[in-house]
Amino acid sequence: MSDYSVVGKKLPRVDAVEKVTGAAQYGADVHPAGMLYGKIVRSKHAHAKILSIDTSEAEKLPGVRAIITQDDVPSGRRVFATDKVLYLGEPLAAVAATDADVAEEAAELIKIEYEVLPVVQDVMESIKSSAPRLHGDETKDGPNRRDINAKIKELSSDQEDDNSDTIRKLKAELEQYSDEVYYNISAETHNEAGDVEKGFAESDVVVEDTYVIPRVHQTYMEPHVSVASADSSGKITVWASTQGPFAIRSGIAGTLGIPLTQINVIGTTMGGGFGGRFGVIITHVPAVLLSQKSGRPVRVQMTREEEFLDGRPAPGCVIKIKTGATKDGHILARQALAFWDSGSVSGASIGSTIRVRGVYKIPNIKIDAYGVHTNKSGTAAYRAPGAPQAIFAGESQLDDIAEQIGMDPVKFRLMNMREEGDAVPAGGSEPKVGYKETLEAVADAAGWWDREADDNQGWGVAIGDWTNGCGPGGVYVSVHEDGSARIFHGSMDITGTDTAITQIIAEILTVPYENVTIRRGDTDSAPYSTGSGGSVVTFTMGNTAKLAAEDARRRILELAAERLNTNEDNLELKDGAVHIVTADPPKSISLGELAAYSLSTTGGPIVGKGSFARQPSTPALAAQIAKVEVDPDTGRTRVLKLVASQDVGFAINPMAVEGQIEGGTVQGYAWAMMEEMQYGDNGNINPGFVDYRVPTSADLPTVESVIVEVPAPNGPYGAKGVGEPPITPTLATMANAVKDAVGIRVTELPIKPEKVVEALKNNGHGA
Amino acid sequence: MAKHPVSLKVNGDEHDLLIEPRKTLLAVLRDTIGLTGTKEGCSTGDCGACTVIVDGKAVTSCMVLGVTASGKEITTIEGLASDGELHPIQQAFIDTGGYQCGFCTPGFIMASKALVDENPDRTEEEFRFALGGNICRCTGYTKILEAVLQAAEEIRTNS
Repeated sequence: MSDYSVVGKKLPRVDAVEKVTGAAQYGADVHPAGMLYGKIVRSKHAHAKILSIDTSEAEKLPGVRAIITQDDVPSGRRVFATDKVLYLGEPLAAVAATDADVAEEAAELIKIEYEVLPVVQDVMESIKSSAPRLHGDETKDGPNRRDINAKIKELSSDQEDDNSDTIRKLKAELEQYSDEVYYNISAETHNEAGDVEKGFAESDVVVEDTYVIPRVHQTYMEPHVSVASADSSGKITVWASTQGPFAIRSGIAGTLGIPLTQINVIGTTMGGGFGGRFGVIITHVPAVLLSQKSGRPVRVQMTREEEFLDGRPAPGCVIKIKTGATKDGHILARQALAFWDSGSVSGASIGSTIRVRGVYKIPNIKIDAYGVHTNKSGTAAYRAPGAPQAIFAGESQLDDIAEQIGMDPVKFRLMNMREEGDAVPAGGSEPKVGYKETLEAVADAAGWWDREADDNQGWGVAIGDWTNGCGPGGVYVSVHEDGSARIFHGSMDITGTDTAITQIIAEILTVPYENVTIRRGDTDSAPYSTGSGGSVVTFTMGNTAKLAAEDARRRILELAAERLNTNEDNLELKDGAVHIVTADPPKSISLGELAAYSLSTTGGPIVGKGSFARQPSTPALAAQIAKVEVDPDTGRTRVLKLVASQDVGFAINPMAVEGQIEGGTVQGYAWAMMEEMQYGDNGNINPGFVDYRVPTSADLPTVESVIVEVPAPNGPYGAKGVGEPPITPTLATMANAVKDAVGIRVTELPIKPEKVVEALKNNGHGA
Repeated sequence: MAKHPVSLKVNGDEHDLLIEPRKTLLAVLRDTIGLTGTKEGCSTGDCGACTVIVDGKAVTSCMVLGVTASGKEITTIEGLASDGELHPIQQAFIDTGGYQCGFCTPGFIMASKALVDENPDRTEEEFRFALGGNICRCTGYTKILEAVLQAAEEIRTNS
């Protein structure tokens, strides 16, 4: 579609050689002279009072150079537990020693006395009055109590009429909802539009179910790691494996009360993140404290087991959802009540419950969502945080409605989709998005319209929407005497974003792609950059890069006009040189010559600057179709076909975009079929890859990706963020395919073989 | 802890070392010799990020004690390119976009090399099964398989 020469092309990535030769420097590859090895001492109980911490034996071990506890945190901000632990694996102390094995030995020598407390791991138990309280006794009202209390409040404030009788009745009604007094609530959010009760009353079909989605781990391949070095002047350098070095800098400054300028964070090549690599206290702060105390650089590196115990995974949740539609296929109302497992702190993506709305015209909607404390580690973002969970519930239920009214699931979705110009619930109107184009593309590519299925085979479809974030960024680009260009910026490459930035700048400056190089600075040197999460990077840094390249281009044309004694209007930048458009014979000057010339001019070298923070983003849609075969004897589901389409706006590097679609889809598949952090009486019981199974190449066939391009008005070349959308529909895609194959509606993930066998025995019930 | 003399031949270079018996081959490669291209993803032999080739066979170096590798010939990711030329498998991972974050890539490339050396005639399904000991969280494996098949094809053609 494009006349572009660099963007839109499947070019090899800028970091290709270092990644395939082992030269790329990840966090654990950093090894400053004199470095010590840190180890975090973790709670052996999921809920317990700490009676004492005795470090004396550990201190005697040869090679131990520093031991820290919460007493060593001058700001008093919670880094280590002191009075009580709230989950298995919660940090209590940390050790630095001359050898990793010595550090581990020392950690084991630290004696901790506990008084074990009752544990709660299930959100539906935790909200009850019988549950142990993690943080206190404050309660929150459930949806019905909220509505009644709101009415009481309204009537009480009415000075005109005597409403006492009505108020008395309402108060009596409140009593009926005593089980709606929720305990251990960490947060709540409520949204309402239209009148759901009216919508359900007008519906011909109403379906109501409870969906349960497990907590899963991002499982980036590189465990959390940090190397910190505090010098004698107090200057702190941190080599951090993180998605956001600037966020880590401010996080360390805030946690430890250190001035921002005393901290330099160097982002190391990131071994995956998926949203889970923004944490400050997981390894970075302990490493800094250990380095300050020992006077030596210290590396704190998590094991895979520690990742499962003390990472910040995606929250599980329980979603009660109800949908009403007319028999001719119009969705009239949807209501959801969700309980998100936020673990020991607040912060689960409860706001994403609104994603049950999807991209459909639903006139009446009501959402009540709560974050619930449990004895687990806190949670964090995982690729479109909260959306896979909510969309699993919404898109599963949609298929049940389609089945009841006898409508094709793809047609049912197409007819209910919002269209350009439709009112958007959050305000404004729907922009042009390829909703229908994307779903139609996947249906065509998968062969949906003439699909066939043998016994125990089935087809499933689902869609998921997501909108990329946006944030501040800065880019410099310099043009050198050899005609090459160098980019300098501060954002972490998240699997191809440096390549996209490079392609954009090569396109504008007309410099061959291989002659444009990109360098990431640390927080001391680079302009501020937003964290690499929320699909922001290509959108934000792409726009920033464009501005920088255009700025450089202005200077190039200015120099050329000066050098060639002409007006800028007569000039054209093309193929790495500036040409006088009207000259006959042709006259031009190369970028290298201009760069050399610039060094002796008043205006100086060619340096373009781009700075950008915010523009409205455009939603993106991912649509997927799976064909599966379920073995009724073993319950095993085998994927025969998995096709994923996505409206990406514009694919700056189609190879990288396909990679995002394929990878995100497989993560969604894994959440649907395999992954689940399991909890016993004393915390997580599957902290390793043997018991927590992530897919390997043996589990799946090739994922087919289909790129749909409906440009986003504010995206660079129309590009949208592409990383997050592909995980959003897969959970429901798989569940809908299993339903189609063997008639079982699985409402509780993952779709384990034993669950399927059990449900088949019960004629399709009880999954 | 008492240290033991160990002789390793890594990427053609002889290393005479004194190492503690509890140190894994992975720890020796990374911390003692300084070859950090081999990655530690799980320390339990489940993810394959630490895969190296020992006497022609792919092994997870986190499951091998350094002392037991004495006298053996070891190839790591750093030893694959020769005379500035990438190995066909490395080139194939670049051409197909067979890596993203790159953390599992050294392990995948070493595991693929051992498989292709042993038998480049495997089908896609056979390669999918044979690479089941390596985990990649980014790619969904589609482009990794493309890379391995491309490399296998090239090695078949040239041999």
